Amino acid sequence: MTPPPAEAVAARLASAPVASDSKINRDILSVLDGASLKYWGLLGLVVLGVAQAVATLAYQTYIGMGVAGYSHPIFWGVYIVCFVFWVGIAHAGTLISAILYLFRAKWRNAINRGAEAMTVFAVVTAALFPLIHIGRIWKFYFMIPYPNQRGLWVNFKSPLLWDLFAINTYMTISIVFFYVGLIPDIAIARDRSSGWRKVLYTILSLGWQGTSRQWKAHNRTVLHLSGLATPLVLSVHSVVSWDFAVSIVPGWHATIFAPYFVAGAIFSGFAMVLTLLIPVRRIFGLEEYITDYHFENMSRFILLTSTIVGYAYGAEYFIAWYSGVEAERTSFFMRALGPYWISTWIMITCNAVFPQLLWFKKLRTNLPFLFVLAFLINLGMWFERYVIIITGLSREHDPAVWGTYTPSLAEMSILVGSFCWFSMFFLIFLKIFPVVAIYEVKELAIHENAHGGAH
Amino acid sequence: MSELDRRDFLKLVGASAGAAAAVGCSDPVEKLIPYVVQPEEITPGIPVIYASTCRECPAGCGLHVRTREGRPVKLEGNPEHPVNQGTLCARGQSGIGRTYHPDRFAGPMRRGPGGELEPLAWDEALSLLAEKIQANPSGTYVLGGDVGPTAGSVVDRFVTATGAGGRVVYDPFAPEALRESTRALFGQARVPRFDLSDADLVVDFGSDFLDVGPAPTEHARQLAQARDVHNENGGVRLVHVGPRLSMTASNADEWIPAKPGSEGLVALAAAHVALRERGGDASALRSLGHVTPADAAARAGVDAATIERLGRALAAAKRPVALPPGVAGWSRRAVASAAAVLLLNHALGAVGRDVHLEREPAGRARASHREALRLVEAMNSGAVSVLIVHDADPLYSLPAASGFGKALEKVDFVVSTASMVDETAARADLILPDHTPLESWGDAEPRVGVRSLLQPTIRPLFDTRALADTLLDTGRAMGLGGQLPSGSFRTLLEQAWSGSDFRNALARGGEFRPQASGSAPVPSASAMLQVAEPMLEGEGDFALVAYPHSLLYDGRGANLPWLQEIPDPVTKVAWQSWVEVSQATADKMGLKAGDVLAVETSAGRVEVPVLPRGGIRDDVVAIAIGQGHSRGHYASLAGDGQPGETRGVSVLALLPSVTDESGGRAFLTARARVTKTGGFQRLPLLQSTDNKRKRMLGEALPLAVVKGEGHGDGHAGGHHGADLGPVYANEHAPIEAYDATADSHEDSPYRWGMSIDLDKCTGCSACVAACYLENNIPVVGEEGSVRARQMSWIRIERFVGEGYIEYVDAPERGRRPQPSNEVLGKTDVRNSPMLCQQCGAAPCEPVCPPIATYHNPEGLNGMIYNRCIGTRYCSNNCPYKVRRFNYFDYSQFNWPGLFNLMLNPDVTVRGQGVMEKCTFCVQRINAARQGAKDEGRPIGDGEVVTACQQACPSHAIGFGNLKDSGSAVSKLGDDKRGYHALHSLNTRSAITYLAKVTRDVES
Repeated sequence: MTPPPAEAVAARLASAPVASDSKINRDILSVLDGASLKYWGLLGLVVLGVAQAVATLAYQTYIGMGVAGYSHPIFWGVYIVCFVFWVGIAHAGTLISAILYLFRAKWRNAINRGAEAMTVFAVVTAALFPLIHIGRIWKFYFMIPYPNQRGLWVNFKSPLLWDLFAINTYMTISIVFFYVGLIPDIAIARDRSSGWRKVLYTILSLGWQGTSRQWKAHNRTVLHLSGLATPLVLSVHSVVSWDFAVSIVPGWHATIFAPYFVAGAIFSGFAMVLTLLIPVRRIFGLEEYITDYHFENMSRFILLTSTIVGYAYGAEYFIAWYSGVEAERTSFFMRALGPYWISTWIMITCNAVFPQLLWFKKLRTNLPFLFVLAFLINLGMWFERYVIIITGLSREHDPAVWGTYTPSLAEMSILVGSFCWFSMFFLIFLKIFPVVAIYEVKELAIHENAHGGAH
Repeated sequence: MSELDRRDFLKLVGASAGAAAAVGCSDPVEKLIPYVVQPEEITPGIPVIYASTCRECPAGCGLHVRTREGRPVKLEGNPEHPVNQGTLCARGQSGIGRTYHPDRFAGPMRRGPGGELEPLAWDEALSLLAEKIQANPSGTYVLGGDVGPTAGSVVDRFVTATGAGGRVVYDPFAPEALRESTRALFGQARVPRFDLSDADLVVDFGSDFLDVGPAPTEHARQLAQARDVHNENGGVRLVHVGPRLSMTASNADEWIPAKPGSEGLVALAAAHVALRERGGDASALRSLGHVTPADAAARAGVDAATIERLGRALAAAKRPVALPPGVAGWSRRAVASAAAVLLLNHALGAVGRDVHLEREPAGRARASHREALRLVEAMNSGAVSVLIVHDADPLYSLPAASGFGKALEKVDFVVSTASMVDETAARADLILPDHTPLESWGDAEPRVGVRSLLQPTIRPLFDTRALADTLLDTGRAMGLGGQLPSGSFRTLLEQAWSGSDFRNALARGGEFRPQASGSAPVPSASAMLQVAEPMLEGEGDFALVAYPHSLLYDGRGANLPWLQEIPDPVTKVAWQSWVEVSQATADKMGLKAGDVLAVETSAGRVEVPVLPRGGIRDDVVAIAIGQGHSRGHYASLAGDGQPGETRGVSVLALLPSVTDESGGRAFLTARARVTKTGGFQRLPLLQSTDNKRKRMLGEALPLAVVKGEGHGDGHAGGHHGADLGPVYANEHAPIEAYDATADSHEDSPYRWGMSIDLDKCTGCSACVAACYLENNIPVVGEEGSVRARQMSWIRIERFVGEGYIEYVDAPERGRRPQPSNEVLGKTDVRNSPMLCQQCGAAPCEPVCPPIATYHNPEGLNGMIYNRCIGTRYCSNNCPYKVRRFNYFDYSQFNWPGLFNLMLNPDVTVRGQGVMEKCTFCVQRINAARQGAKDEGRPIGDGEVVTACQQACPSHAIGFGNLKDSGSAVSKLGDDKRGYHALHSLNTRSAITYLAKVTRDVES
């Protein structure tokens, strides 16, 4: 085994030219400096958005779930759609941080901090939805297995319980991963700040001095955490997909669901990274660090996962036909041509058709195009979950009680609130922590210097 | 006088804040208050049952009123009563709501100078009435429904004593035409009673005897008995003649879609054919005019061959019975039509055998529409100064064209004895509220020899007084005590029953000595009747059929929440009016379900959403009677007795005031023009499609298949479902049969199971009402129903035919696919009750995270409400879709008025956010277990009767222990027709459906 790269980095760090060091520090840390009026305005707006969603939730809890659009037999709606959507978004971060780390894909260094932050905030958003969704939110702890006076236990056969564990595990590891990665950067920020920031960073940096021993420990931690997180990237969304695949609902009961969901999750995650980083790069002038090279690589990922997702769509239809089960065939027919055809075609065009344009290299580095495409993919992936959940439930085994579902105002309010909640965290993050991992960028720069600019 | 020091203050603040917080967090504290003096007869937890009589329609079914701790909580059929024999229809069961209704009058009220109702004391009220009557005795009239022989005699004596102008008995659906036809034919006016029990061919000429009929519970039972597949020839054949696929037509083996009002022509022509075939004297038929099959066919809009075939089938049948037209078919020619059907019966020898012309009970009040119209005339002329209205809502149920509303304005003093607000009571100057039937003494004699008693089952909840006592006391206040019987109504009732053992009659519900029918009378040829077309008034392309809603009846059911909530058994529309047009008409006019149509006749115009159907003639539009009230908490959109917008429309506003030959009321009287208004109203349509897509739901088998291999018990396999393969190989591969007894714990002696015979189920929805009332199921109203949020644990699914699997659910067909599988002249309707199947391998169980639903040792899918957190995953995974979700806290606002007093204390009232579903009436299982345990024995077969099973008039539902191979349900489960719903999913359902049998009329 070659020694971990950390040693080499640490060794060279001391002799690295000060000017280069400062520029990276300056450039990236400048993002944290003084918030503009626009920033405060935006933050205020999203906080308002969160506040209205909290008010809706309070209303819904008090009055009952009837304020949502549920109608027999469609008992899962926008809340579960949002849950799966946000869990999906959360996938890109870990993929970039952990899997690409293990594969030594250096291009990840510039984008991993943003992606990790996005992951943490997306999981935190997603984790709220099962609570918002259940009929008796005040009894949510009935799902948690702990010795209790009720003398009752939980049902380990239920995919929803698997979900609980999967999401919590993922949330824990994402937060730890995010934080561990931040420590050296917080230390840099600590050394250049004053006032309350100084206090905050001093506490959070855990006494980081950049000693060789610390770097070694840090790199080992990151390595091991990557090893732990890697299977999670695959498992979390597989478990989420089993919420559906384990049931006997036509349109849900399919073995393809786990890989299909994982691919979709990575797909939507990368799209969300694009959605966030393109404006951040533009606004804060980080073109030097987040380059076309990064966007092109992400585009390739999107193209790959889009193709997988497109294949899965096709496979679902093929299997529905090939199974010969009338209920399955009907369900899929109704999906494409029934009352929810608009949702279905949004999903297919946004997820499987438009991203195919990324075969063109010019488009892969055309940021306005990528931004629009990323938005469409986010939209398409939201509708993918909507289509799976709603059309599945609306055309089931008993035709006498086929139903329709229309999201209510309350659900829309909480949907908007979830985006605001996510954005709120991201906006705060922008001003508190470096959005690009300084030490990892430096690592790249050092490598470049050492190898005479060769990649 | 020590001051509160700082420390104590803080302690107190802390303690009270803590206490407040603790109280605030927990559920509200409720207290159980024990009896201080324990009443005799009442043991808390043990129901006390009183026998009484149902007053929801004239059939006079016997009731068993189940009371708990002094409160009636459920109405059940009296098993000893000859009419209903232990069953009870949806309307009868819902009648309990009248006692606890939010619209009840709390006491006597007088209309003040400002038009507002103000309370007054009974003494004052009665002397006010006495004064008004004394002012003009001959201008005083009593108008009201049938109140039974004893109360009726009190009314009569009151009228005589006060010298009042008269008493008019009013019943909108009184069978006057039928009575008149017997008078014309046989010289004696009697309402014939039709017995279907032993018939082998029943031809229903539009009587709709299963919808409303003269006694729907009785006829459903008789039909089921006659229809038993083990009977000779595989059971009775039912032919329906009429313009629309009503509930009765849906249950028929053949439907002859004759023009409305032409039933008499078809009957007469069929009688000619039958007599020709059998050889017999056709001279009697001539008195109604000669009608050949070809002639009748042309005038009725059906094939001549069909009538020929019908006639031959009637001739060939051993015990044919024909039923005369019901309310929807009463035209100007109603007497002639009824006479034609009676003559057909006579020609077939059915009169005296299955058609009984019994003497009518003495003292039976005869409602006369003609007299009601005369009263309107008198009112208009100003001759009526005091009008006492009781037990009827003529302002609603008389045709608007009769001018009753206008005439009412000319009456100086209108008195109503309604116990709750209705249209007429809202116009009254004085309200003297009557008790509700559950608070009343009374009697009824639905047929000679069947004397039925009403007794109070609860002390009157409000300051009300029985009608008879009100009249007696008014008479006494007028100083007429000498001319009136002394004592209260209760003592009069005892006197009236002095010839019998009153206490015994009270215990049994009455005195039942049904009398054998006399010999068949001979028709006289002198009847001056002409069977002909109905002569409709006005112009338009469509005949307007106004038919009684099978749940709302003449509108009296409209203010009872369950009758509004339970969807119409045929169209599955709840809480609304709709106009039925044929699919062809809809296609021609470009109509979708819910498009608002203007329906216009010579008498009026209404706007009402349309429901296109295959099962109605192209030249007919039909609207149900019963909706369109402007008063009532549930009947209208009004609140607290204030006038408001009507719920739906009243078709009675479209009918001209027309009578038949005898002066009886005619309903089939108008032609209608329909135009599109461009409006749209989403109908609360509780079933999305009647196309079952060939899935294993609502199965049917041809009689030949059932008979062909079904003789003896020697079919393969011991467990039910074993022979599903050959019969049910439609689109599913046969799945290995399973042993249902393996689905409960091996140590448990029980595995509860049910059998549902679709050949007997008529779709009447009595089971649904029973379930609502037994299990405290909330009603969700129109808005909830539009959103498919109904909470019923059992629903009747109505499929037409095997269905097809083409995809017609394209979005342009509207938001919900409409029932469209019906075809004119075809009936292959399968009514299939759907409830929790209590699966052995229940899909709901493994997916519930907190184990709120679980498999209990006796094989039931238990539902622990207080474990449930409402993930709703169980419902997603339930292929039968029988799980319901509490969208709101129904327990807090779903029981207005005193409805919370009638909640069944044995069943939990579910809170907000939890799932619920059918429990197989686990409270009844446990009640039976208590008794069995006390006696140290297992629960016997038939000891547990579920609410739905108990109510079912045709005994289609069986319940029992599948582990007991001798139990009735196990034996039925082994029936050749047995199948499990959606068998291919292998849910190991505990309910065995017995497929409906399709029979050919000719075979």
